[in-house]
Amino acid sequence: MFESESVVTGVEATHVRLARARAALTAVESRVGSGREGWDSPTLPLATSLSEVLPGGLRRGQVVSVEGSTSLMLALAARASAEGSWTVAIGMPSLGIVAAARRGIELHRLALVPHPGVNVAAVAGACVDGMDVVLCGPGLALSDADRRRLVARARERGSVIVAAGSWAGAHARLVVEASRWEGLGAGDGRLRSRTLTVAIRAREGSPVSRVVLTLDQQRSLPRVRPSGSGQARTERAGLEGAA
Amino acid sequence: MSAVTGSSVTTVRRAVLWVPDWPVVAAMAEAGLSADAPAAVLHGRGMVAVSAAARAAGVRRGQRKRLAQRACPQLAILTHDEGRDSRGFESVAAAAEQVVSGVEISRPGLLMIPADGAARFHGSEEALAEALVGAIADLAGCECSVGAADGLLAAILAARTSSLIPLGKSADFLAGMGIETLSFAAMERVQRDAVEDLASVLVRLGIHTLGEFTALPLSDVVARFGPVGAWAHRIARGEDVAPPVLRRSEEDIAVEYVFEEPAQRVEQLTLVARHVAELLATALLEAGMRCAKVRIVARTERGEELERVWRTDVGSRAGAFAAHMTDRVRWQLEGWLSGTSNGPERAALSSLGVVAEDVVPLGAEQSYLWGGVSGADSRAQRTLERVQGLLGLEGVLAVREQGGRSPRDRVLALPWGQELTPVRPPAHPWPGQIPDPPPATVLPSPERIQLLDAGGTVVSVGRRLAMSAPPTWVRHEEDPGAERTAAMRRHPSSRHNAGPVWGAPLPIDAWAGPWPVAERWWSSEASRRAYLQVALRDGPALLVAFSDGGWWLEAIYD
Repeated sequence: MFESESVVTGVEATHVRLARARAALTAVESRVGSGREGWDSPTLPLATSLSEVLPGGLRRGQVVSVEGSTSLMLALAARASAEGSWTVAIGMPSLGIVAAARRGIELHRLALVPHPGVNVAAVAGACVDGMDVVLCGPGLALSDADRRRLVARARERGSVIVAAGSWAGAHARLVVEASRWEGLGAGDGRLRSRTLTVAIRAREGSPVSRVVLTLDQQRSLPRVRPSGSGQARTERAGLEGAA
Repeated sequence: MSAVTGSSVTTVRRAVLWVPDWPVVAAMAEAGLSADAPAAVLHGRGMVAVSAAARAAGVRRGQRKRLAQRACPQLAILTHDEGRDSRGFESVAAAAEQVVSGVEISRPGLLMIPADGAARFHGSEEALAEALVGAIADLAGCECSVGAADGLLAAILAARTSSLIPLGKSADFLAGMGIETLSFAAMERVQRDAVEDLASVLVRLGIHTLGEFTALPLSDVVARFGPVGAWAHRIARGEDVAPPVLRRSEEDIAVEYVFEEPAQRVEQLTLVARHVAELLATALLEAGMRCAKVRIVARTERGEELERVWRTDVGSRAGAFAAHMTDRVRWQLEGWLSGTSNGPERAALSSLGVVAEDVVPLGAEQSYLWGGVSGADSRAQRTLERVQGLLGLEGVLAVREQGGRSPRDRVLALPWGQELTPVRPPAHPWPGQIPDPPPATVLPSPERIQLLDAGGTVVSVGRRLAMSAPPTWVRHEEDPGAERTAAMRRHPSSRHNAGPVWGAPLPIDAWAGPWPVAERWWSSEASRRAYLQVALRDGPALLVAFSDGGWWLEAIYD
């Protein structure tokens, strides 16, 4: 009697555990918007530090809109470019090339179309056809219909559009709400590390999640902290710096 | 060649042809001076090469200009130009190739020749040396000396004394040589500096000859001196570091079309371009060659030249070559005729030439590590060419990093497909360069901005880089089309002032600087700026510059 009861509770526990796991999974899916439809298209490589920002990866055929940070756009494209993808930047005459190279974008596989002008729809269409990652600058003269056509074409050809500014119907919308630079003082120091607060919205109407992201991290001078553990860490950092 | 461990060494029997003081010989030939004139090549602060007549007058390598001129007042001082040195040495290499086939240029002034086969052909090494010296004097017009020995260093030293070291005697020959001779075997300047440092340390340690150096155990030398020590030890033992790489010369293939009447219009040229490109394609096909670069040269009536070099991958698109080149010619000439791209003054064209460069036999071209050009690569190339067709040549840009101080200077952008060679090497030190991280947005031209102190006065930077007050606020210029600008203009207090309208001030969290950069003060494009990094509260950081009494926004770290 005692034994059978324990078996029954064991079975119940398995049921309960399974149900809880399923609930958690659906909660995560609804939160990040990666339903079943996401799994059938392959992904481009993405830096592991950005997996929180795009949990489903950089999926081919997707549109990711980024508001408020060119660095984040470059970071999204960097890993794929380093591993052989071709990147084109349309309508970004002020793109920092050195920054792109430092982020990991291979300059041999990067083309710039700084001023597409009135031909922007044709140019973007051609680029979506032939390139892997298309970076679109802010203020391109694209109508909503043009954008829908581009998305359809990207889905068909398997390229990724990373757009600056809002893009109606984007699969992921990243808004940089705050960015904070460390390393400057009052007339001394230099820019060293930066943290971004990114608000992520998978679809229109889905809940917003926020991620704090450290994009540039430079080895800074060790700062002496009062606590003992901080001291130890400082010493280790100093040793790494010397090595 | 034999690989033996232990005390034996791995060597190749080789002859070395050495032209003494090559940089000055090349410079004198270009300047049209006779061989017995006193001349020296100046680089930086000292002489790098001195002619025989100047040496007799007391001019030495490394001497300052003033001292050299005191020793020899009629000394001709020539400028240093590595490109000229290597270009000029091609003629020496070509002359040597009249005698032996396959020579290796180690550095301008020094040729390696595999001695075995050539000596057999000419009868003896003496005969080979004689033939080489004669050919160089006849065809290239300069003196040279030839030596032969086993191994790299022994052969170079033999050439300096015009001696032929018998087989197997090279180690004895080397053992008595001074330790400073090691630097002759270093082919690049960086390597030579490292080897000269090593030699000076060894001399101070009491090691004066190569024999004494090679008596040291290799492991100890490596432990003390690292890779340079290991290299020097091998060289001093008379070993070779790498087998000689032989030069294979392939002539460039050129096709030229001379207009009967100078051509004025692009339409005329396009037809000719197609014709010329087809001729070149057939010439390449007949020779069984393909090329990596194509140079298009258009000559104007006034004798000026307009040329550009294009990379091609013609092999992967057989048959498309003519159309491909026609487009390139059309873009190049359209830009020039319409005056959008810079070049010589507009004039009618007298001839149009297409030259295939970097010619290699078909099938011998380098491929990628994982097989041929990938599908994605050629697809992307086609796409970019299509976009170029839509927007014109300058519509699609390729970019490279180059050296410079401000973020804008560090980028080289050229039309896609054109040969990119950075003029300023990024590896050089650029003192005063804005430190990393680089900004993600670099404005194509700086924008006006204002930095204000706590009281609202514009901050300024003095001649001695003193800030008048710590910056507290920053404000951008308002967009001229914005409603706010119009409202400000209408307001009576503006007194119809046409100056810029400033936006709302933003608070500054932290700042660093000023970092002075004074560039090219000797030329008309001189600039004197002081840079500041400014972090805005909860926003991006800015790179601003103070010059000509005003602040400019250069870049945004967003």
